[in-house]
Amino acid sequence: MINLRDKGAEIWENQGRVGRVVLALCGVTVVASLPFLGGTILNTPIADYESVLVYPIAMFVLMAIGLNIVIGKSGLLDLGYVAFFAIGAYTMGLLGTKTGLNTWEILPIGIAMAMFSGIILGIPALKLRGDYLAIITLGFGEIVRIVALNLGALGRSEGILNIPTPPAIFGIEYTFDSHRIYYWTLLVLILLAIWMVRRLSARRAGRAWESIRQDEDAAELLGVPTFRYKIWAFVLGASVGGAAGVFYASKTLFIAPDNFTLQISILILACVVFGGMGNIWGVILGAVILGYLPDRIRFISDARLLVFGLVLVIMMNLRPDGLLPRKKREKTIDKKDAT
Amino acid sequence: MSSSLIQLKNVSMKFGGVTALSDVSFDVKEKEILGLIGPNGAGKTTVFNVITGVYQITSGEIIFEGKSLSGIKRYEITRRGVARTFQSIRLWGDMTALENVITATDTHKKSGLVLGLFGFPVSRREEKRDKARAQELLDFVGIGEYSDRLAKNLPYGVQRRLEIARAMGAEPKLLLLDEPAAGFNPAEKVDLAATIRKIRDAGYTVLLIEHDMSLVMKVSDRVVVLDFGQKIADDSPGKVQDDPRVIEAYLGVPENAS
Repeated sequence: MINLRDKGAEIWENQGRVGRVVLALCGVTVVASLPFLGGTILNTPIADYESVLVYPIAMFVLMAIGLNIVIGKSGLLDLGYVAFFAIGAYTMGLLGTKTGLNTWEILPIGIAMAMFSGIILGIPALKLRGDYLAIITLGFGEIVRIVALNLGALGRSEGILNIPTPPAIFGIEYTFDSHRIYYWTLLVLILLAIWMVRRLSARRAGRAWESIRQDEDAAELLGVPTFRYKIWAFVLGASVGGAAGVFYASKTLFIAPDNFTLQISILILACVVFGGMGNIWGVILGAVILGYLPDRIRFISDARLLVFGLVLVIMMNLRPDGLLPRKKREKTIDKKDAT
Repeated sequence: MSSSLIQLKNVSMKFGGVTALSDVSFDVKEKEILGLIGPNGAGKTTVFNVITGVYQITSGEIIFEGKSLSGIKRYEITRRGVARTFQSIRLWGDMTALENVITATDTHKKSGLVLGLFGFPVSRREEKRDKARAQELLDFVGIGEYSDRLAKNLPYGVQRRLEIARAMGAEPKLLLLDEPAAGFNPAEKVDLAATIRKIRDAGYTVLLIEHDMSLVMKVSDRVVVLDFGQKIADDSPGKVQDDPRVIEAYLGVPENAS
């Protein structure tokens, strides 16, 4: 099987500054023009194609990027990631219906709420490792959903209705069915998240996370403040999930606890593992495929999830490290081999 | 000789009913190479573990540069100037040799996550300096050419040296080497002895655990011997070698003598 990741990395590395900008712009243009390809082979039967692009695809991509900071970069198994998504969404729902604040004003508040809950969860949970951490986060995800299900102020099982759409910005109107506008906005958020993750990965934080993932004890004994960096990973992951949540609520206009089940956590985790833990492009690809596939094959109705499961099983057997595994090439060796 | 860099005062370490260290006291003087030897299970690695904060000692005190190390977080101990290598190699395998060292040099750096995110010039300058420093350290231990290779793919001997370079990356005053020559052939051991002396000459203080007697006796200024968690000798290499208690610990007591 050809190594897509190395090919991609090679093309990128061989470009100068200008070449990279051109490449990046081309990439963004292609991705941004996806909503116009509704009539082609890409079209999803039954479900509205443009709406599928927004949710699940773009939303999954954003969340997978966030979860990848926690799981892929730092090796912290978080099974309750949906909690941050829910917290963002409920912040939007509550503030959007009860106060005069609009989506753009609530976005930073929702992100802050998610980050704050990341700290609250992280302080007790990150003292534990591996399986124990996974169980605590699993519990946290359920707690958030059950609180929403039982708290009168959050609408219990009826959830929150009539959440406002984002107000116009730069003359762009958001209406309920203008999916492509939402899609492009999400694209901006995704690009911001990619920028953040790539930036951090190349620097001190990225190295600290990497060392924690590979051998936490050795990291601590060589002076890495492991606990602090684990909290940071949690908080940054949460911020991305929170942003996705705010936007989700503002798109669907109606949220209920049923939107935030364990299944979402598991699906996002599957995106990360399927795409290639630790490699942001792999994770994005994984999220795109896992978000798109169930809707693309909707015509086989009942057998849909069976096929979906089969694809997962087969692919994980063929490529256990994911579609695009984490980057680890040895530059000098390549050069030596070439000469 | 100059003053003590680190002092262990009556240190005991118990795991339930098992006493790993019993009332051990010794010090390491500045810019000295102290060899720590003893039969298997004597408590040598436990000494490293209590100094670096892996275990909290049951009683006694460890003083580093005049201040107690008890109750201090592990990474803080490293920041104060103690770094170690591991007997079983514990490099970060998916990182390059250079990255392994840079991660340790991050120990003392101020600019953290937020500065790094926005790419302020401070952070960028530091990044550049750290890289240069890490490369210097790799060169210093003689593995400079491997800097871009993944740690897990390096030959065994290079991994052992990388462990040393990584520990030096944390800018320690006291360097703890846990069997750095394990698995080396005689020629490699000679090389390593030269490297350890070079490290000391560069201003580091070295506490060395090693099983190879000829290596320890050759490089050490002083040797401390542990047996069943107790210190049984603390002297110059020459005297330790002739100490009857040391010989007894290693070879046992002749039957007719008891």
